[in-house]
Amino acid sequence: MRACLLLAASALAAQDAVSILQNQCGSCHGAAAMAGLDLRTREGLLTGGSRGPAMAPGNADASLLIQAVRRTGSLQMPPGKTGLKPDEVETLARWVAGGAPWSKVVSPGEPNWWSFKKVRRPAAPRGYANPIDGFIQAKLDEHKLKPAAAADKRTLIRRATFDLHGLPPTPKEVDAFLADTGADAFAKVLDRLLASPRYGERWGRHWLDVVRYADTGGFETDVYFPNAWRYRDYVINAFNNDKPYNRFVQEQIAGDELWPDNLDLNGGFDIPSEKLEHLQARIATGMYTIGPAYHEAAFFGGQVRYEWLTDVVDTTGEAFLGLTLGCSRCHNHKFDPITQKDYHAMMAVFANSEEREAPVVSQFNIFGFKSGYPNWLKVEELKGAIQRINQAARKRVVDKVRSRFGADVLAAYDTPQAKRTPEQRALAAKLEGAITQAGLEENAEGKEADIPFTPEEDAEKKRLIVELGEAALKANPVSQTATVLGRSARRMDTYMTHRGDWRSRGEKVDPAMPVVIGAAVKVDDEHRRTSLALWLSDPSHPLTARVMVNRAWHWHFGRGIVATPGDFGRQGEPPTHPELLDWLTSEFVENGWSMKKLHRQIMLSAAYQRASEGPEANRRIDASNRFLWRMNRQRIDGETLRDSMLAASGALNVKMGGRPVIPPLSKEEYTVMWARGQWPVALDPKEHTRRSVYLYVKRTFPLPMLTTFDVPDTSQSCSRRDSTTVAPQALTLINGEFSQKQAALLAERARAIDAADPVSALWRLAFARVPAADEKARAQSLPLQQLALVVFNMNEFLYVD
Amino acid sequence: MSINGNRRDFLCNSALGFGGLAASTILPAASVNPFAAKPKHFESKGKSVIFLFMHGGPSHLDTFDPKPLLSKLHGQPVPPSFGSADFQFTQVDKAPLMATPRVFKKRGQSGIEISDLFENLAAHADDLAVVRSCYHDGFTHVTGQTWMNTGWGRIGRPSVGSWVVYGLGNESENLPAFVVMLDGGIKAGSPAYASGFLPAMYQGTVLRSDGPPILNINRPAEISENQQRHLFETLRHLNEQHREQRAADTELAARMASYELAFKMQMSVPEVADLSKETEVTRKLYGIGEAQTNEFGTQCLMARRLVEKGVRFVQLYSGGRKGAEVGWDGHNECDQNHAFMANKVDRPIAGLLTDLKSRGLLDSTVVLWGGDFGRTPFTDGAAGGGGSRNGRDHNPYGFTVWMAGGGIKGGKVIGTTDDIGMRATQDKVSMHDLHATLLSLLGLEHTKLTFPFQGREFRLTDVGGQNNFYRRLIQG
Repeated sequence: MRACLLLAASALAAQDAVSILQNQCGSCHGAAAMAGLDLRTREGLLTGGSRGPAMAPGNADASLLIQAVRRTGSLQMPPGKTGLKPDEVETLARWVAGGAPWSKVVSPGEPNWWSFKKVRRPAAPRGYANPIDGFIQAKLDEHKLKPAAAADKRTLIRRATFDLHGLPPTPKEVDAFLADTGADAFAKVLDRLLASPRYGERWGRHWLDVVRYADTGGFETDVYFPNAWRYRDYVINAFNNDKPYNRFVQEQIAGDELWPDNLDLNGGFDIPSEKLEHLQARIATGMYTIGPAYHEAAFFGGQVRYEWLTDVVDTTGEAFLGLTLGCSRCHNHKFDPITQKDYHAMMAVFANSEEREAPVVSQFNIFGFKSGYPNWLKVEELKGAIQRINQAARKRVVDKVRSRFGADVLAAYDTPQAKRTPEQRALAAKLEGAITQAGLEENAEGKEADIPFTPEEDAEKKRLIVELGEAALKANPVSQTATVLGRSARRMDTYMTHRGDWRSRGEKVDPAMPVVIGAAVKVDDEHRRTSLALWLSDPSHPLTARVMVNRAWHWHFGRGIVATPGDFGRQGEPPTHPELLDWLTSEFVENGWSMKKLHRQIMLSAAYQRASEGPEANRRIDASNRFLWRMNRQRIDGETLRDSMLAASGALNVKMGGRPVIPPLSKEEYTVMWARGQWPVALDPKEHTRRSVYLYVKRTFPLPMLTTFDVPDTSQSCSRRDSTTVAPQALTLINGEFSQKQAALLAERARAIDAADPVSALWRLAFARVPAADEKARAQSLPLQQLALVVFNMNEFLYVD
Repeated sequence: MSINGNRRDFLCNSALGFGGLAASTILPAASVNPFAAKPKHFESKGKSVIFLFMHGGPSHLDTFDPKPLLSKLHGQPVPPSFGSADFQFTQVDKAPLMATPRVFKKRGQSGIEISDLFENLAAHADDLAVVRSCYHDGFTHVTGQTWMNTGWGRIGRPSVGSWVVYGLGNESENLPAFVVMLDGGIKAGSPAYASGFLPAMYQGTVLRSDGPPILNINRPAEISENQQRHLFETLRHLNEQHREQRAADTELAARMASYELAFKMQMSVPEVADLSKETEVTRKLYGIGEAQTNEFGTQCLMARRLVEKGVRFVQLYSGGRKGAEVGWDGHNECDQNHAFMANKVDRPIAGLLTDLKSRGLLDSTVVLWGGDFGRTPFTDGAAGGGGSRNGRDHNPYGFTVWMAGGGIKGGKVIGTTDDIGMRATQDKVSMHDLHATLLSLLGLEHTKLTFPFQGREFRLTDVGGQNNFYRRLIQG
């Protein structure tokens, strides 16, 4: 249950009241204690200020505080015309009438919340090969729960393969594991899985959810981010290379500041490998260049910037701190001790940064690109020649339209817009309207309107287009860049805003870290993001490592030790196993922030290897399995589903990296797209069967199949996906073109593997097992291709025990 | 504690929560349907919504909000007393005011003034509540569309249809709960009808009037109906065997149930989209079969058929991208543009209201008409000044929507704009106010319809909705 369920109504009321005092009165009657009144504590209220006690608990009417906010007497607070809102007054009055219980919940300045306290390594429980099991067993004992038996090997390898690769195991892999009777057989499987590049694709995808990855900016223009994929590949490679998580954090926040090398050759042809690594660190800051791009919708640079900083702070908060900072843009956080000032101070950390294009090739190669530039000149020349033909043809149409109008209209039309008289405007509009009607504009497909060409023009144009194509084949890109963060040359100050309105300008705010979390730190004004990166990645930071360890647990078990992996604040859930979380966190840090070691630690525990069924009696005590007496049965997500279908059918193309793949859509899918020219389909069909992590993520047009299966919204960080069950999913898998096609391939493949018994082959490909006799009998009643379709739809295909 | 009660209620009532709060037995079939109708917060007449969205932003000044002063000041600059604001293409001090070329008349008993762009709809004036004082701050299409649809000027929040379905479920068991019909691409894209941070099951389902009505609804040509029935049967048996080996997993049961529903939908969706059984009189009423009105008329008639079957929320777009058409975006020759667009929707909308009324459905169906925003009283123009093309720029600071049905006592006007129609002045209606009112018509208290996200209980109406004018709508 959520923490808030446990809060009694009175505690909530107290929290509201204290929050009002803090937000509305705190700036004068906090540390400043104007008129001697300090409203930060209950004692402060009781002692009061120069006018005596501020409240009489139990008697609202007699309390000075209430009289002042009701504005009934001589003292009217807060100063100004409006005062508090009626419901705020009412909340305070009811709270005082109820005895004014103090809520410790909102009190900035003291880290009394568990997740803000330092990680303390508990002693590992004795008698357990894997200390994780000791911690889990303690909770099971406490709640009188008996653990489930160990899962069988077939289940285990299927679980581990989906978990680390997002794919089903191949029959060969299953056979090898079953044949290996050694005690370390499963450990060997883990080593194999972790060494495969499929691992980074799976776990990188998890991280891409957290950083709200997309290839376009959303809104009307939905601008294409040509280099977003470099950041996506960076993430995948970081997981595959087991980049220490502290370094991963540092690179994404301040890779450019911490490793500022350029790619000079230092006299040699090969770029030294450490410089390439530093280039990766810069690409990592792409995290902050792939968010929603609000620019077209704003009139002022200041607003665009404020929106960008909002996205930056919110994403940083959820991704690295596991906190929802968003509330604090407009007011002090109601539940967590994050103030509006903290929020703007974090904005200030990023305020002297801006997006820029960094070359990803050496100076030497840039020379090469530049020498190839004349090829582009030829392309431009040919484009110009084609456009001249178009313009000539267009002019003929316009002239024909003009011939229908009188001299006054033509004169008006030929007068520059700014110089037209009101009468001329009206006259010119007639001709303009007629030209528009003639349909000389582009249509929705991005194709030009049908302009009548002469046969000579037509022939010449066709010739030029062929030549253009040939020239384009020779024209290489003139530069290759990554879109990264850099330090802005201009100095940008940050100011407090009123309720998040970017136009309002309050006091100036210096860059700083939230005051109640982690160690106090002095921000280096020239390298502000470095200060943030080092503060976050400090081993003693209470949140950074804890949050990531919990994310890993969440992705392994389907539920975190903290069930709200993106919210370690008071609205989040408390940890079910706090000692375990702290022990794992200290292990993680001691092991050099290695994700792969963390995976091994977790997956080698008995808890991970349990069956997903267990003693029935447990259900009455812990039906939702919070204490892990069994493994959770987990449903695979949309990408894993698509990838698994491709893997089973044999069509999966495991090519890694590069530009996003734009897959073909059905006619029906196209009809709802605003600008179809923005969907240039990959022409090589082999590209269409690559892993889902490489598919184009267009903010205004998420892929229908994936959206049906709960792929998250990309406007904000997502720490935990939904998993819904609705009929359109069934229709997608039963009738959809993709499903049909893969079913045909799967049937063919099963027949090729075992012509005599294709049903068993099918079962092995999809479920890592052979069918039972009655299953097989039932299965054989269908043509093989239809059976393959049924297999994709079976619960066993989507649920991993 | 209503907030938390709501969450618990949510977990119990949807397939989502089954994993977390698994009961020890398989739940009865009704609870397996995640869209099972849920009780209202309070009694009200409205059950379903038809939201007619005029994509591009229809001018209030040429339709529902007459401004005699504009005619007097035609061609002159905006008097400084009206103040200034930001518009997408025009600077207020550089643009001449433009009178409406339209004729406004008092309509019906109530005498609401409606222009001759909507002659057919005007006959329903006494059913309409015309809200002339809407406002938000999104002066570009996508911000306007998201304000209107999600109550927030950015992409990413759940749409109003998603919230309504989350709050009330669906009366129909075998049709989608939230249906969207488009006549072309829309600028905001799917975020306009997506579920944002609500679970994806609450997103709008796009229904088409030609080709397969919804994605993947048609069985592949090479599989016969009997074959497919056998396929579903086999699947059910195999899934049953799988489930029997696993104790009491309601998620598995829910997924099996979703296939039964999918199978039924394959019949019910094409059936509801098939207008051949409608009489010629009805088809005529909507303008079906006539070039200009056929498309929107078809969609309006489908909308009626959907709410008749209990679909909770239907949204229709007029003015999606098609060829060189720009929808209601009258930057150039606003009047020509609006005459063209109004001609497409006037008869279908009037027909819809007539038809709903004659079938007794208007009382339970809220019809809402609006767009991205309204348009400026001055001409749109090149380089910030008034251009020559008699166009109007986007105006989010004062614009009109109208509502009918769902218990609304029509024939009333709510709110006013200033004398040139640039800004809402009296009885200002924010999008939160509009949404709060819409929810009230459906019996939902907007402060209680919440969902936990990013550390707080989010509402469709954020922290707004104080000017909920529901009471005024249902009183005579």
